[in-house]
Amino acid sequence: MVAIRTNGLTKRFGDVVAVEELDLTIEKGEVFGFLGPNGAGKSTTINLLLDFIRPTDGSVEVLGIDAQQDPAAIRRRVGVLPEGYGFDDPLTGREYLEWAIRTKRADDDPDELLGLVGLTDDAGRLAGEYSKGMQQRLAFAIALVGDPDLLILDEPSTGLDPNGIQQLRSVVRERAESGTTVFFSSHILSEVEAVCDRVGVMNAGELAAVDSIDGLRDSAGGAATLRLTCATPPTGLGVESLSGVERTTVEDHTVVVDCASPAVKVDVVTHVAERATVEDIVSETVSLEALFNDLTAGGRDDGETPTAEAVER
Amino acid sequence: MSAPDVARKDFLAASRSRSLWLVATLLGLLTTVVAYGYQGYRLGPRETVIQLFMTLGTVFALLLPIVALVASYMTIAGERESGGVTLLLGLPNSRHDVFLGKLLSRLAVVASGVTFMFVTATAMAVTRHGVLPLGTVLGVFAVSIVYTAVFVAIAVALSASVGARSRAIAASVGAYFLLVVLYVIPGVSVAGIVRFVHRTMLGFERNVNLYNAVTYTSPFTAYRKAINLVVPDGREQQVFRRMAENADLPAYLGDEVSLLVFAVWLVGPLAIGYLRFEGADLL
Repeated sequence: MVAIRTNGLTKRFGDVVAVEELDLTIEKGEVFGFLGPNGAGKSTTINLLLDFIRPTDGSVEVLGIDAQQDPAAIRRRVGVLPEGYGFDDPLTGREYLEWAIRTKRADDDPDELLGLVGLTDDAGRLAGEYSKGMQQRLAFAIALVGDPDLLILDEPSTGLDPNGIQQLRSVVRERAESGTTVFFSSHILSEVEAVCDRVGVMNAGELAAVDSIDGLRDSAGGAATLRLTCATPPTGLGVESLSGVERTTVEDHTVVVDCASPAVKVDVVTHVAERATVEDIVSETVSLEALFNDLTAGGRDDGETPTAEAVER
Repeated sequence: MSAPDVARKDFLAASRSRSLWLVATLLGLLTTVVAYGYQGYRLGPRETVIQLFMTLGTVFALLLPIVALVASYMTIAGERESGGVTLLLGLPNSRHDVFLGKLLSRLAVVASGVTFMFVTATAMAVTRHGVLPLGTVLGVFAVSIVYTAVFVAIAVALSASVGARSRAIAASVGAYFLLVVLYVIPGVSVAGIVRFVHRTMLGFERNVNLYNAVTYTSPFTAYRKAINLVVPDGREQQVFRRMAENADLPAYLGDEVSLLVFAVWLVGPLAIGYLRFEGADLL
């Protein structure tokens, strides 16, 4: 069974293409991480799923229902933590939650949900006066109302403290184990790594990759980096002429060698050891972050040197 | 169908708005003072009270649109600007439910305010004059509620049509000018503009009935005509400034037509506002 399916989904805002020809299928029961730097089109996609905005082209299906045909029917079975929500009515956290429970015709115990997200002590305060993190907890509690078949969470950890992120993760895992499909977006890789079965990486409105975390690692190939520290500056050793070596750089006494596959490492070490005194060897496998940077080319800026900043922001 | 849930939350929020309570208090004070100070010229108590409510009608004609617009202009545009709309639509509400729920809630809010003004005025009038011409009071009250509802509908429709607070304000002020102010100031009145185009630019013969008919398209004029429907016979006011000489008023300028004008202004803006809201990208 399919939880979410988009076909050739395209959204333009004037001249800006926010999402282009997106074909995405998410099976029921999956925990799917939707990754990408800011402005990659993640939120636009989610807003299209929820019919907050309308596609320029293509179609969206959620739980087998066309998103434009019957959005209310979708919302009955989906729990949503949207981006850019606002608690601007003078209602308390508990009142907001009770309103959500009534609107969803659910029979949740508000106290239980408040406890689950750690808001028990603040339930009687106006939600508009909550800190960002507390509002995020309340919005998450609202998403959980009525034990939905599908949770759509847009950047759920925004504003949460580490403790809150931990709570969020454990609730997501719990719900996933009981069969709930979870679709959540994030620009933080570690978060996705920790809970997701599969990830999709968006970049500049297009899906750059869809795979499991392990699959992504594999597809990055054996690309590996060797750092060899030598007694003398290791210049002119001819390492770059070895087959399978992609790039070498020399920093002071250290030569950094990017290898196309792990097997090349031995050749490199042998080659260098024959020509210089090697004092230390550090081998690094490709990090997911580097992969993420590769896939997204450092984000919208399209910079020559992808930085970790695009990931952390 | 969750419009009642949307309405209930919106009404609860509105009932906690201090500024709304302040406005309601001021309006109640206003009607109390007017009712206290009103003294008809050579009239019996009963006639005085009837005259009082007709005078209140003249005041309300200008005032109620402001009350309705101020209480309603933010209702949907504000939710779109603040992000409240994503919470609304993240729950099992359709856009239809949101639109209808907001409309119902604001109608209830403003109707409460109008009721409060009538209760204070009636209480003061009865205290002062000892009589209660119930038919006229209830009649003016009913017409006022409909008139206010028209402007709530217009404000909610405008609010649903725009995405931002600033544009909602501009649209509401514009609506007040177009539908009320332009019918009050003699120099720049709609009738004057039509007369100018009709006679001076197009060279037609003067046609007072036509100018009056154009004036009648405003809910402001319709309200004043509708009051004629509920006052005792013989107390009707001549709403149009000029009348055609030695001719009976044509049927399309009759007092009953005001109800049609109200109906058009209720349904038209709501339909357009809803369609625009339904088709819009809300974020």
